[in-house]
Amino acid sequence: MLLSPTQRVLRAFAAWAVVALFVFPIYYWITVAFKVEREIFSLPPKVFQFTPSWKSFEEVFGVSLGFENGLEVIPGGGNFYMTPRLVDSIVVAFFSTILAVAIAVLAAYALSRMRIKGQHHFVFWILSTRMMPPVAVAIPMFFIYKNFGLLDTHVGIILIHALMNLPLAVLLLKSFFDDIPTEIDEAALIDGASRFLIFRKIVLPMAMGGVAATAVLCFIFSWTEFLFVLTLTQTSLKTVPVVSSTFVTSTGTAWGNMAALGTAAMLPAFVFILLVQKNLVRGLTLGSLKQ
Amino acid sequence: MNPIDRKLYLASITDRYVKGKMDRRSFLRAAGKLGLGAGVLGLSSMMPFGSRGGFISPAAAAEIEPDAEMMAWLKDVAKPFAGQTVRLATESTPPSNAINSALKPFFEEATGINVEIEVLPLEQVLQKLTLDVASGLGTYDLYYIDQSWMASFSGDVIDPREKYAANKDLAMPNYNMDDFLPALVDGISMYEDTMVGVPYDIPIFITMYRKDIYDELGLKVPTTMDEYLANAVAIQEAKQPEIYGTNGQMKSGHYSLECDWTAWLWSHGGSIFGPDGKFTGNDEAGLAAMDYWVKLFANMPEGVTTWTWDGQGQSMAQGIVGQTLSWGEFFPFWDNPEASKVSGLMEAAVPPAPKAPLRTTDQTGFGEIPGVGHQGGSSLAVSKYSKNQDAAWLFAQWATSFDTQVYITTLGGGTGPTRESVYDDPRVKANAIKGIGGTTRHLDAVRETIANHMGSEPDLPEWAELSNDTIPVELGRFWAGDYDSPKAAMDSIAEKVDAIVDRG
Repeated sequence: MLLSPTQRVLRAFAAWAVVALFVFPIYYWITVAFKVEREIFSLPPKVFQFTPSWKSFEEVFGVSLGFENGLEVIPGGGNFYMTPRLVDSIVVAFFSTILAVAIAVLAAYALSRMRIKGQHHFVFWILSTRMMPPVAVAIPMFFIYKNFGLLDTHVGIILIHALMNLPLAVLLLKSFFDDIPTEIDEAALIDGASRFLIFRKIVLPMAMGGVAATAVLCFIFSWTEFLFVLTLTQTSLKTVPVVSSTFVTSTGTAWGNMAALGTAAMLPAFVFILLVQKNLVRGLTLGSLKQ
Repeated sequence: MNPIDRKLYLASITDRYVKGKMDRRSFLRAAGKLGLGAGVLGLSSMMPFGSRGGFISPAAAAEIEPDAEMMAWLKDVAKPFAGQTVRLATESTPPSNAINSALKPFFEEATGINVEIEVLPLEQVLQKLTLDVASGLGTYDLYYIDQSWMASFSGDVIDPREKYAANKDLAMPNYNMDDFLPALVDGISMYEDTMVGVPYDIPIFITMYRKDIYDELGLKVPTTMDEYLANAVAIQEAKQPEIYGTNGQMKSGHYSLECDWTAWLWSHGGSIFGPDGKFTGNDEAGLAAMDYWVKLFANMPEGVTTWTWDGQGQSMAQGIVGQTLSWGEFFPFWDNPEASKVSGLMEAAVPPAPKAPLRTTDQTGFGEIPGVGHQGGSSLAVSKYSKNQDAAWLFAQWATSFDTQVYITTLGGGTGPTRESVYDDPRVKANAIKGIGGTTRHLDAVRETIANHMGSEPDLPEWAELSNDTIPVELGRFWAGDYDSPKAAMDSIAEKVDAIVDRG
C-alpha cells in the first residue's frame, strides 16, 4: 500500500514520538547524573539547560577527572565509592551467565532430542522452579551458604544466579533446539557422527542465535537481581542494584550519585547486547516461520 | 607538577591511605608535598563532607589527631584480638559515614582489628539484623539498633554495663558512661532493666525556619502549636505559589509518617498507648491532634504524601518551604551551599510548647515518653552471638568515646552528639558557622530539645511492626481519602494495633 506524503510524515512523527516517550526517562536520568545537587530538584525541572558537573561521577568512581578546578575528590574515601561494586556486578553477571548457559545447552539438547519416561512432567518441574518466589528460598539459602562458607563470596553469588537462571535458560534453549529439524541429526548419525559431535559441530552452531538470546536474558536477570545479593552478601561484594540503595541515607537520597552509577551501569549490559546483537536478532526470530 | 598529575597523585595516595595500604605518616608527608596543609585549603577543612557519601578532604584528614592516651591504651589492650574482624550493619547516618570514611583507619591501625561496616537503608538493616538473630549465626558482631527496634533485639545483645564491669581490663579509661545525656540513655538505650546498647546517634525533631521569610513577614519564632500553625498559614498566604507554609514526611506505609503523627499526637496531650496497654490515639486528644494535622496539611506542598524524610529535606533545600518541625540533622545539609538553595538562610529553635499538658509515663504504656521533639536515635550494641565480642566491645567504646564523637560531629556533618561534654568542646563550637556544610550552629537547639522537649516511642517487641507497617499504612489510607473522618481512621488503627499487641 502506498502512503501519501502526509501519511508518511505522520507515521514518522508517531514513530519518533514513541521513541521519545521511551528514551526521555533515560535521558533525564543521565542529566541528573551531570547536575549539581541543588539543581536536581529545581522547579521547573532543568531538562536541557543546566550546568554540567562531573562531581557525582568523580565521587562514585573514585577518579579525579580534572575537569573542575578546585574540587578535590578523594577516591575510595566515601561510602559512595562504587568502582569495585561495578566490577563485582560484571564478574557475577558474566560468570553466572556462562555457567547457566553452559549447563543449559547440554540439558536442553538432551530434552529436545532424547526421550525419557515422564519427560513432560520433568519439563514442567523445571518450569515450576521458576514460579517459586525467591524470598521463599533466600532465607534457607542463607543458612546453607553460611555452613558451606559461601556467604559473602563471588562464587556463592555466581552459583545462585546461575541456578536462578537455569530453568528459563533450559526451556528457552529447548525451544530453539526443537526448531532445528531432527532429520539433520539423523543424517549425521547415519554418517557415523556421535551424539556429542552432532551437538557440537552441527546443532549448536545452528542454534547460536538462541544461545545468544538466552545469554542476554541471563545476563540481564543477573545484572538486575536484588534479593539474593542483599541476603547472601555483607561487605566483600555487592552488585549495582543493591549498592544503589545505599545512596538512601538518613538525611536524604543522593540522587546525583545514584544516577551516575545507574548511567554507568547501563554500559556493560549495553555492550554485551551489542556484541551478541547479530545473533540475538536471529535468535529472537528463530522459529517464527514454520514450514 | 601539573594540575592533572597532581590530582592523579592525590587520588592515588588517598585511595591507598583510606584502604589501609599506606600509613598515616606517609600519607601526611605525601599530602604535604602537594601543598595540602590545612591552611592551603582554608575553609574546606571545616566542611569536609561535600555530600552525604562521607567524602573527606585531605585537609580534614590531615587535621585528625586522635587522643594519644586512648590510642595507646587501645594498642596495648587489643593485642590478643589483632587480626580479628568485627562487622557492623548500619544505616547511612552521619556518624557511620564519618567512622567508615575517615576515622576507622585510626582504630584499625592502633588495634590490628579489622572493621567492616556495611552501609544500608534503615529497613534493610532491620532485615539483616532479624536474619542474624533468627539464625543465631553471629554474622554481625555489632548491631545498629534504632530506638523503635530496641525491645525486639533486647534479648540478643550484651548489656554494655555488664560488659564494662565484667572485664575491667577492657574497660576504656575515662570512657565515662555518665557523660551520655541521661534522657538519651533512657530513650534509646534502655528496655526495661536492660541497657541494649550505648547511645550512638540522635536525630531529633526541632523547629527550623527561613529567617529571611520570617523577617519579611514579621513572624516570631513559634513558641506554641497555635503560633506554629499561624506562621505556616501566614507564609502560605503571602508566598504562594512559590513557597509553602510548611512540609512533612507523609509517605504511606513509611516509618516517617508515623514519626510526624506522634509529634502532633504528643503535642496535643495524647499518647499512643494508655497505661493498660491499649491504643489511645483515637481518644479526644488524639482526634484534636488529627484536626491540627489536617489544618497544617492545607499549607503543605501537594506531593507531601509521597515523601519520606528525603522529600521533606529536598523541598526545604530547594527553598519552597518556609518552616518545618523535623530532624535536626537536616540543618547542616541545608546550610551547605553546594547542595541547598537556602544556605545561610535557615535558623533552628526548640519545638513549640505542647498545646495540652504532656502525658506522664504513668499515663502511657510500654515506657512511652511524650514530647514534641520526636527522637529517632539509635544505639550501638554488641551481639551475644558474636564470636569476637571483646574486639567488638573495644570498637563500640572507641566509636562512642568523647574524642571520636567530637570528630564525628565536626567531620560527620554536624550530627547531634550523644555525650554532654561534646556539645561544649571548642572544636565543635568552632564549626558553628553560618552557610557551610557540616555547621554545628543548630546544636544548641538540639541539646535543649533533648533535655526538655524529647519524645520517645514505646518499647515493646511488636513496635517495629506497628511503627513501620501497621500505623503508617493506615495513616496513609487516611491521607489517601479511604476513611470518612479522622475518627474512623483512628478507630481502625486502634483495632489493628490492639489485635497485634494482644496477639503478643
